[in-house]
Amino acid sequence: MAANNMRDIKRRMKSVNSMEHITKAMKLVSTAKLRKAKSTFEKTQEYFNYVTESIQAIFNNTDQVPDKYLEGSREIKTTCYIVVTSNRGLCGSFNSNIIKMASAEIAEDPEEPVIVAVGSKGRDFFAKRGYEIASQYMLPPENISFLETRAISRPIVEMYDSGKVDEVILIYTKFINSMEQRPRMVTLLPFAIQNDPDIPKAAMEVEYEPSVEEVFNYLVPKYVEIMVYGAVVESATCEHAARRIAMESATDNANEMLANLSLTYNRTRQAAITNEISEIVGGAEALN
Amino acid sequence: MAKSVHLEVITPSKLFYKGDVELVIVRTVSGDEGFMARHSWACKLLIPGELWIQEAGEKDFKVAAVAGGYVDVTDNIVIFTDAAEWASDIDPERARAEKEKAETWLKEGHEDDHEIMLAKIAIAKNLNRMNIASGGGRRRRA
Repeated sequence: MAANNMRDIKRRMKSVNSMEHITKAMKLVSTAKLRKAKSTFEKTQEYFNYVTESIQAIFNNTDQVPDKYLEGSREIKTTCYIVVTSNRGLCGSFNSNIIKMASAEIAEDPEEPVIVAVGSKGRDFFAKRGYEIASQYMLPPENISFLETRAISRPIVEMYDSGKVDEVILIYTKFINSMEQRPRMVTLLPFAIQNDPDIPKAAMEVEYEPSVEEVFNYLVPKYVEIMVYGAVVESATCEHAARRIAMESATDNANEMLANLSLTYNRTRQAAITNEISEIVGGAEALN
Repeated sequence: MAKSVHLEVITPSKLFYKGDVELVIVRTVSGDEGFMARHSWACKLLIPGELWIQEAGEKDFKVAAVAGGYVDVTDNIVIFTDAAEWASDIDPERARAEKEKAETWLKEGHEDDHEIMLAKIAIAKNLNRMNIASGGGRRRRA
């Protein structure tokens, strides 16, 4: 019986051990990918800040801004949700956090939502629950280019322009640091902007070409494009960070299990030996 | 020597160029336009085309291909563009091959408007690249 038990423990140890190898390797891969994603993410952030500042500056400097993209320009009926998730699992609660937030928001919406899924996890979730997925993008987010994300954002801006949707909400994971990521929701359109009296008007007259409206109408869709690109990049960063942590704790758990198993194994082995000796001794005794 | 002005060229994925320049020439919607130090403030849209940069104290221009974007001129100049690459990084053979691929694809006759638009963009982009790789529309001044 003891020998049987020992073989079982040995087998378990072997499988836990090989699992530990895998999680450790995945952790290393994620660490490397995280570093790369983080540097792209930081660069994007800079560009993004510039563009929002420019929009703000234009808005403050003129009063001829077209109100198509502004808050309060029309009644909000249909809402478009852009849900950014990952294509792969094994990254802790990364996807479920996003999905939880998105489904809570969508459940409150009385109108039929328009869902744009970036990443297969979110698509699968909503498709399974009978929501219609307006469009989906499954490209690996690590090395997505700005031009590729335009394929996501262009149709959304077009839908907004044509009045098919009245509001665009982006749900993605915000990167706080490598240990912490939080799901976040932003309204992209209509554009919420207030005329801030604290910002002084530019000291000089600014030339706009071809015209203020054209520049503004160019910038706002650009803002959407950048937000979507930024969200994809940021979410990729978060995915790697989340996976790194998940794999780290998996490796730790595997190590702990290995320690426990080898302790039990040694005890069983010891018990088997003691048993055998006492049998031999008992046998020898009986011969005397 | 003319006064110099600080220029930044930013794309979504990286800071493409940063430095002090004497003159920068971009292609706005109404044609090529050059900006020097102390230009009046402006905000102009750009179409895909050439970007010429004359660095402070240099005679020669640096040439790059840029996709559309906009230029923001204040006390310093910032150019935002979707993509940019230096003339020296362009492979003219590849640009030509890609242009031809898109052209033959168009000739085969397709119906999807979006795809046709993409192919046309690809042709324009590669034409621009080929132009720039061969010295640009504007010849280098001696």
